[in-house]
Amino acid sequence: MSIQTLLMELVLMPLVAFVVGLFMVLMLRRIGAKLQRRVGPPMMQPLYDIVKLYSKKTQISHGWMHDIGIIMAVGGYVAAETLLPVPGMDGIADKGGLVTLVYMMMVPSLGLALGVGQCANPNGSIGIARALTSMLAYDVPFVIVVFGVAWYFGTTNLVDIIAIQQAGGVAGWGAITMPLLAIAGLFALQGMLGKQPFEIYIAPAEIATGPMVEMSGKYLGGLFVMQCFQLYTAGVLYVSLFLGGGENWLFFLIKVFAVVAIPMTVAFLFPRYKTEQMIRLMWKWPVMIGLLGLAFVMH
Amino acid sequence: MNTIALTVVLPLLAAFVVPVLSRVSPLLGRLLGPLTLAYTILLTLQVWLGMEGKPFSIALGGFQPPLGINFYVDRLSLLFTFLTLVTSLLLWPWRNETEPRQYALTLLLAASACGLALSGDLFNIYVFYELISVASFGLAAATRSGAAFAASLRYLILSGLGSVLVLCGIAIVYLQTGTLNLAQLSQLAPETLNTPLGMSAFALILLGIGVKGELFPVNSWVPEVYAAASSRVSGLLAGLVSKLAVLVIVRLLVLLFQQESALQLMLILGLLGAISGELAAWRAKDMNRMLAFSSIGQLGVIFIAFSIPGETGLFAGLALSLHHLLVKPALFLLAERWRGSLAGLRGAGLASPVAGGLFVLLALSLVGMPPLPGFWAKFLLFTGLAAQQSVVYQVALGVVLLSIVIEANYLFRVVMNLFQPAGDSSVAVTTDHSWLNLGTTFLLSALLIAGMLFMGPLGTWLEGVAIQAADPVLYFDTVFSVSAIH
Amino acid sequence: MTPLDELLLFSGLTLVLLLLLGRFSYAGKVATVFYGGQLLFLAKMADRIVDGSIVTFSLQVELFGQQMSWRFDALSWFFAVITLGAGLLSSWYASGEWGERFRRRGGNLWLLHVALAANVFSMLILLGSGDLLALFIGWELVSWASFLLMTVAGGRAIQAAMRYITYAMSGAMAILAGIVLLWSHAGGLQYGQIIDVIPQLSQPQVWWLVALFGAGFAVKMGLLPFHLWQAAAYAETPGPGAAFFGAISARMGLYAFILVLVQLIGLARLSELTIPFTFLDMRDLWAWIAVLTIILPTYIALRQNDARYLLAWHGIGQGGYMLLGLVMGDALGSAGGLLHVFNYATNQAVLFFAVFAVMFRTGTADLNKLGGLITRMPISFFAMLVGIIGLAGLPPMNGFVSKWFVYRSLMIEGEPLLFLGAVIGTLGTILSVYKLIHNTFLGQLRVEHVEVREVPWSMVAPMIILMLLIIATGVAPGLVLDWVALVQSAVGLPVVENTLGGVELASGSLDMLWVVGVLFAGFGIGALLFYSGGRTRQVHQLDNYAGGHFLTAETRYHYSDNFYAGLMHLIKPWYRGSFVWLESTLGSLLEIAASLMQRLYGTLHPSLYLLVTVVATLTWVLL
Repeated sequence: MSIQTLLMELVLMPLVAFVVGLFMVLMLRRIGAKLQRRVGPPMMQPLYDIVKLYSKKTQISHGWMHDIGIIMAVGGYVAAETLLPVPGMDGIADKGGLVTLVYMMMVPSLGLALGVGQCANPNGSIGIARALTSMLAYDVPFVIVVFGVAWYFGTTNLVDIIAIQQAGGVAGWGAITMPLLAIAGLFALQGMLGKQPFEIYIAPAEIATGPMVEMSGKYLGGLFVMQCFQLYTAGVLYVSLFLGGGENWLFFLIKVFAVVAIPMTVAFLFPRYKTEQMIRLMWKWPVMIGLLGLAFVMH
Repeated sequence: MNTIALTVVLPLLAAFVVPVLSRVSPLLGRLLGPLTLAYTILLTLQVWLGMEGKPFSIALGGFQPPLGINFYVDRLSLLFTFLTLVTSLLLWPWRNETEPRQYALTLLLAASACGLALSGDLFNIYVFYELISVASFGLAAATRSGAAFAASLRYLILSGLGSVLVLCGIAIVYLQTGTLNLAQLSQLAPETLNTPLGMSAFALILLGIGVKGELFPVNSWVPEVYAAASSRVSGLLAGLVSKLAVLVIVRLLVLLFQQESALQLMLILGLLGAISGELAAWRAKDMNRMLAFSSIGQLGVIFIAFSIPGETGLFAGLALSLHHLLVKPALFLLAERWRGSLAGLRGAGLASPVAGGLFVLLALSLVGMPPLPGFWAKFLLFTGLAAQQSVVYQVALGVVLLSIVIEANYLFRVVMNLFQPAGDSSVAVTTDHSWLNLGTTFLLSALLIAGMLFMGPLGTWLEGVAIQAADPVLYFDTVFSVSAIH
Repeated sequence: MTPLDELLLFSGLTLVLLLLLGRFSYAGKVATVFYGGQLLFLAKMADRIVDGSIVTFSLQVELFGQQMSWRFDALSWFFAVITLGAGLLSSWYASGEWGERFRRRGGNLWLLHVALAANVFSMLILLGSGDLLALFIGWELVSWASFLLMTVAGGRAIQAAMRYITYAMSGAMAILAGIVLLWSHAGGLQYGQIIDVIPQLSQPQVWWLVALFGAGFAVKMGLLPFHLWQAAAYAETPGPGAAFFGAISARMGLYAFILVLVQLIGLARLSELTIPFTFLDMRDLWAWIAVLTIILPTYIALRQNDARYLLAWHGIGQGGYMLLGLVMGDALGSAGGLLHVFNYATNQAVLFFAVFAVMFRTGTADLNKLGGLITRMPISFFAMLVGIIGLAGLPPMNGFVSKWFVYRSLMIEGEPLLFLGAVIGTLGTILSVYKLIHNTFLGQLRVEHVEVREVPWSMVAPMIILMLLIIATGVAPGLVLDWVALVQSAVGLPVVENTLGGVELASGSLDMLWVVGVLFAGFGIGALLFYSGGRTRQVHQLDNYAGGHFLTAETRYHYSDNFYAGLMHLIKPWYRGSFVWLESTLGSLLEIAASLMQRLYGTLHPSLYLLVTVVATLTWVLL
């Protein structure tokens, strides 16, 4: 692969991710609307929102770490997208691999946490404390899943993982060969996206949306962009691990949207768990299922 | 060569002259003792150079052994004679001008200790041992406090009972063999003393002499006496007298009782002494008591070392003894400055940094921090123990290692206390500002450092001493070849 | 004169010089220059180390038939670089205003300098040991030198130091027992003799050796269950000392572990030693000890409210990663473990520097009494930021790389539970270090800290150097991995085939050059996006959403106490303090035994004992 193609891929991959992410946000809102018997927003609404937020006249900054935090939150995901192979584009997926991706996905969270920290609002700090706690909760089943997949395929290179699955057809998909891990992965996905019942760290009525409490204008816009990326990343990662990645763009997008639709639908059907309830849940069922799946995979 | 007998005779003579002389001329009275000791040290050195490493024996009064009594002079006995005289000189009770009695007692102690080191037969050993007892009772009670008298009384009773036991042991030996001459005994022992009765003789002698050697469990006089007596006396008793008792036991082991069970008996008692002494020291609340208990522990370790069969044991035991002889008196001299409760010593090291520094150095050597001499002595002990197959020795290895940990803990608790700034106005009480004690400690510490620097030659030399002492055939030949020549 | 002669002599000279000059105000600068000199001598050896040859020390000592020699190989050299680097930066940190202030407040600066130099010197001696006797001597010297440095602060530090020396002596005695056992089997203590004799020893004998040596080294590393001494001992030491301790001191245990258990006994032999009543072998046991050491201390760190203690507890936990990687024994894992020694040293040093910088200005390290200092001490903030990202092991800092190696090794070796444990440790670290930086630098600035300024250059410079080092070795881990590969070949482990950016593997590679490049490009895009938005206006920290209240300077509006309340609701009952209980039980048993012994000696009827003993002995003899 020539360096030009690579560079172009590196530019294109985040861009695609952003666009797809916008549509995912749209889907999120539409699903909500359907369930609540509303009409829902028009197609371009997510983009309008972002443009609106970025171009607001009053932009309140709480200090330079506040700014950098938002930059890290967005930039971290931009970088993470280049580690996620999509049909026709591998980016630098072979230079990082699964473990690097998992850790790269923590960088935006850290940026956000630092930014919120400087806002000097206890609601924000409490939100971050809860967010980090929930990360501790869902990452335990998540790494079990990651380990199982890497062990099963004998590699952490996502390109190879996808290639192996596609070589086996549908029967070769991770979800078929490792069903228990796929289920555990779904739990982790729900937690990772911070959707109900695991959205204690936002809890609008209690801590005034937590991390977002001091965010306005382009700061909130940044978080909006981050959310697009987050939905995309989680969805694509799940598809790459369990659903054979994308043979072509059509199947790829169908799979990704289908995966992301699951937590969104679940989200609107459940109330919110308390932090300790969430940890207890995450460390019990998904971990047990995951370990069981792991035992099957390793024998 | 016969001048070696003067090391016993001269101090003994001086001991009787001093009280009288002091009445005539106090100055002469004060000087007589040190001068005598210095002269005898010179004599010893002269003999040392003259003997060229070969042992010899002298018959006293012209009667040849086994009928007459003899002094056996090898490197080991000469070494201890020398150490006796030097230690007595270093720990000379200078400051007791008004007490010529103490001079006399110290001289008596030196004379009888030399006699003990040199004696070639059991009866003389007993006599000199009794003389040492008498001298040490007097010295222990010399501070004339109530506690000192009480402690001395306890010491007296134990010691007296010990003497009876020794006498019983000697009687059994005599009954079995018909002689008390060590050289002759060494030849007869394999047949006559290798019996339960012989073993019981050894047990009696071990326990009897063990009273002075701080052997468990006949050492309960130790903490009381050391706490009450002056530091110089404690140093003498802990450093010197205990070692001479050990020396006698070792001589008997080598010459008379080369049995495994004898070694094991000593090993077990040493083991109990090591662990009980260190544990008790760990909880001690004042300096002197702590040092006394730790002295019990270290003597236990020395007994363990000597119970390793062969030259290895002798070598390790000698190294440990010499080290203890150097360090313990030095620590007692420092303790003179810091009498009383340990808690009251807060900041004392800051007030007198030199003394504090010396304490740290001595403590480090005591717990065996390499490359200080204490480490090498213990290293010899450990390698000796590990080479033994029997489980008891392995257990002993573990116990000694454990006791070192305990020792490090309590010694450095004291060090930390010494160097912590005194919190409130209660400035640490320093009862003793004499440069004499500090100077002596300094000298001993300098010797320690010198020992570290010349560890190689020192080790080789000491090993030679041990090899020579471990050879009963040489002993016999030396004593009786002399009679052949005459 | 071999380069090692020069190095050790110069190091000794540094110590002597500081003994003499330590009282003067320029002592810190002299020390820094001299540590730099030592580093130069070390660099002078580099070409020989790269060749794989051994640099010997000219002086050899023979005592009691034991030959003692000293030499540097790649393993020693690697640890020596970190030691000297830590010494250099620590003394630099102390050389200016920090030292001045320390002295003015009644601290003994002379002792601090001397103790630091003694530590460096003794560590070099330890690292150079050419046989087991020399190793033990070096080990003891290091122990007592550390003890000296720990006592500098006085007060609570003394308690911690006493606890340390008790643990250290116990460990040393275990090592000595192991050495003596080996001596009785091999008849000598040269490495060659030991390597020859190990295959002839029976399994129980090797079992004992591993247990004794391992326990001794574990004390220094602070592995479970011997970890209790470390946190307080390191945290209570004054600034530069704490940074030095945190960076390298405990690693001496790892060095000795590598030398004896990996090089002399061999990991393969460890796998042959089964543990009764379990399906584990000795190597698994070490791996599990390592993982428990990662998890438990990390979650204890999470509960600390004193920044110094928090860091010190993490130090114990991070040691677990090194051991874990090492006992995996493959090229990747052992490279990760060794690399983490370096990476962690840089992270921990910069973190301690930052924490003590805060202490320098505010006088406290209590995480409930700080906040908002980012606006006043931006460089210190940045130093801490770089440090925590490295410590937590996130890209782009170097800590990520070493942990990546360890994770990958665990994945390849198929150790899911160990892997899970290691990740749980990392997650706990992320939580805990966020709390550290949040409570110190983020949130509301306290009224009493409004006047606070950034620390002076003498303290900032070492932090900047470390930051650059952390980032540089994060982007190009190959720089350090080259050394690590040398160490691996010197020790006899499989050698990692690294690239400048990481490692090429068929089953998933790592190229940090690209990863970090892309990450920063991402940040660039983020920044572009951000600054293309509307103009920002900065507001005062009290101009905040407060649910309708008006904030004033008196109103405390910083969330710091009980930071992870939700988590703690759940896991608080799991902190049982079992090890503390165990330790105090042992202490009480000792106390009881000691008082019994005193009772024994305090009896009024000694003669009764004597008679009883005589009768008993005679009975024993005659029967």
